[in-house]
Amino acid sequence: MLKTQDLGYWYQTANEPLFQNVNLTFDVGKSYAILGHSGTGKTTFLSLIAGLDKPKTGEILLEDRSLKQIGLTNYRRHDVAIVFQAYNLFTYMSPLDNLLTAMAITNAKHAGDKAYARQILKDLGIADDQLTRNVQHLSGGQQQRVAIARTMACDAQLVVADEPTGNLDEDNTRAVIAQFQKIAHEQHKCVIIVTHEPDVAAQCDHQFRLENKRFKQLA
Amino acid sequence: MNFCKRAWLNVWAKKGRSILLILVSAAILMFVLAGLLIRSAAIKATDQAKADVGATVTLSANRQAAFKKMQSSSSSSSSKSSRPKMTLTPVKLSDATKIAALSNVGSYNVTSSTSVNAKSYDTVSTSTGMGSGNSGGPGGMKSTTSSGDTAITGVSATSLTSDFSDKQSKIVKGRGITTADKNTNHVVIEKDLASQNDLSVGDTIKVKETSGSKSTVSLKVVGIYKASSTSASSAGPMSTDPANTMYTSYTLANTFKGSKYQGTADSVVFNVTTPSKVSSVKTAGKKLINTSKYALSTDDSSYQTVKSSMASVESFANKIVWLVAIAGTIILALIVILMIRERRFEIGVLLSLGEARWKIVAQFFTEMVMVLVVALAIAGAGGKFVGNQLGSQLVSQTATTTQTTSSSSNQPGGGGQNGGQPSGQMGHGGPGSTSSSSTQQAKTKLAITVSAVDLAELGGFGLAITFLSIMIASGGILRLEPKKVLIS
Ligand SMILES: Nc1ncnc2c1ncn2[C@@H]1O[C@H](COP(=O)(O)OP(=O)(O)OP(=O)(O)O)[C@@H](O)[C@H]1O
Ligand SMILES: [Mg+2]
Repeated sequence: MLKTQDLGYWYQTANEPLFQNVNLTFDVGKSYAILGHSGTGKTTFLSLIAGLDKPKTGEILLEDRSLKQIGLTNYRRHDVAIVFQAYNLFTYMSPLDNLLTAMAITNAKHAGDKAYARQILKDLGIADDQLTRNVQHLSGGQQQRVAIARTMACDAQLVVADEPTGNLDEDNTRAVIAQFQKIAHEQHKCVIIVTHEPDVAAQCDHQFRLENKRFKQLA
Repeated sequence: MNFCKRAWLNVWAKKGRSILLILVSAAILMFVLAGLLIRSAAIKATDQAKADVGATVTLSANRQAAFKKMQSSSSSSSSKSSRPKMTLTPVKLSDATKIAALSNVGSYNVTSSTSVNAKSYDTVSTSTGMGSGNSGGPGGMKSTTSSGDTAITGVSATSLTSDFSDKQSKIVKGRGITTADKNTNHVVIEKDLASQNDLSVGDTIKVKETSGSKSTVSLKVVGIYKASSTSASSAGPMSTDPANTMYTSYTLANTFKGSKYQGTADSVVFNVTTPSKVSSVKTAGKKLINTSKYALSTDDSSYQTVKSSMASVESFANKIVWLVAIAGTIILALIVILMIRERRFEIGVLLSLGEARWKIVAQFFTEMVMVLVVALAIAGAGGKFVGNQLGSQLVSQTATTTQTTSSSSNQPGGGGQNGGQPSGQMGHGGPGSTSSSSTQQAKTKLAITVSAVDLAELGGFGLAITFLSIMIASGGILRLEPKKVLIS
């Protein structure tokens, strides 16, 4: 579904590339974990996959169409959903409005369907009375679940997450990973998770390690 | 439109910030509204003055030319002991009818003044102890006709004279002189004279001519008028009591003056129906007359005074509007720039979801419009108050200016009069006398009202200010890179 072709990236300030000649393939119905030491360029790689930045060399292809052709804004709206370590919710909205807003912006199949959005949030363990209260009243784990619910409510086939469990305790981590597995296996989406926790990575279908400017697939 | 919903959610969730924005916008709009209100009130006042004052063109003897002639003759005949005299040619009525036929000229009033001596009644003596009239002509300007104790103002119709149209003199019994009184001996006398001599409408009085055959003439009283007290004071100490002025048809006044005054007048005042056409009437009229002997002058001085003072109020109001609008735009733009900085994260999330940048700008604009609507209501209430304060301040300054201007315009008062008249007449002929300027002031009060049109205009200004400030600030949104905001 998603392919990187000779992908390379470096920051203007650095004198050598973070990674080069990256050729990876990601498929729907599967979950992928990307491991690596701090500062190796995992987040940078993810931002390219998420369409937040342009690669320096090579290309990213979605169903054989390059992101350049699709257009980054268009790609972000229709093809990719992003979950960050810092949740990235609209702080002035309730969990329900966060979902409805994202569904409206991405023009999702279920856009405007309040019952659908409610159900997703409930499935992720957000209580009824919390659905319409400001999202900032929720705990970190709950907020991350709202962010995950947002990717589920939208139609994007690709879900990328940057250390989604970084701020969570063990129980929340387990619940969040289980949700991502569900998204991959039940919603038939492609899930790519950057993490430095081996336990989290182990639960994914495939694991890559970014090391010495290359991605190595782990057995 | 999802951005409208987002705008509403944001304005509602951040009430404190919204209220602050409302107050700032309301303050800006209030000053814009005050400026708009003063401006529209000034325009209204000018229009009102235009309608009230109307405009006139006066045909009279060319005093300037006559004065020059007098000077040149005095230098050539310096040996003579008698002082040179200024001869003013009476206006020909045939010229007047030609001018009256011009377009934009409405009614016209012929004035011919002279004096006679009382025969069957006693004149009213002034409290200043000047005796019963006979004070003589103005110093140095002795004329062939000697002066009588009763001033005769011959007119086409009393209603056309400025004294009566300005309501300074009023008919209290009977009627005024009308054009139908032409060639009759009908007379309108003053109330004090009437009561002193026990005269009423229908009575006959006798006067003696001061020139020619000096014969006695019978006049029929058709009306009694009340002269205003102001004309007494403006007449000055040199004059007879204003009660000794009688109004007749100009034809009768000409008869008193003598046969050579037939078909003439001291002056003719034409009412111009459209005030803006005054100068074109004047130009056209000058082509019809002998300008070396006659002058055609305009008397829209009081209108001009109101117009110029209101024009300065208007331009001041315009300056307020624009200064506040520009300052308001800058202030709002700065606030919006700060607001956008504070909301970088939210903008980043929106961009990561694939929201179009213009829709993010539209969201901010919608939020500001929501704020604007509330601010507009507050400004509508407060702007009237600010406008009233500013307006009365401006008018009290303007009124002082009006006073000075009109009192100085009084100096050539008494223009267009024939030589040998009792100086009591001086107060009447002068255009724009002091008393009329005081009535003018009352009319130039600024009426500050907030109309729907004003609010619509204010809304327009508010929208423009908001739009501009958002445009200035939106550079930040358009340049924002979501990666920089979200990944750090
Ligand atoms: N905007 C930037 N400009 C210049 N250098 C940057 C920028 N962002 C990141 N870097 C550098 O690029 C390298 C890779 O950063 P990146 O955030 O991708 O690492 P990471 O693998 O996600 O690390 P971590 O596990 O700590 O999150 C780092 O050395 C970092 O200092
Ligand atoms: Mg990282």
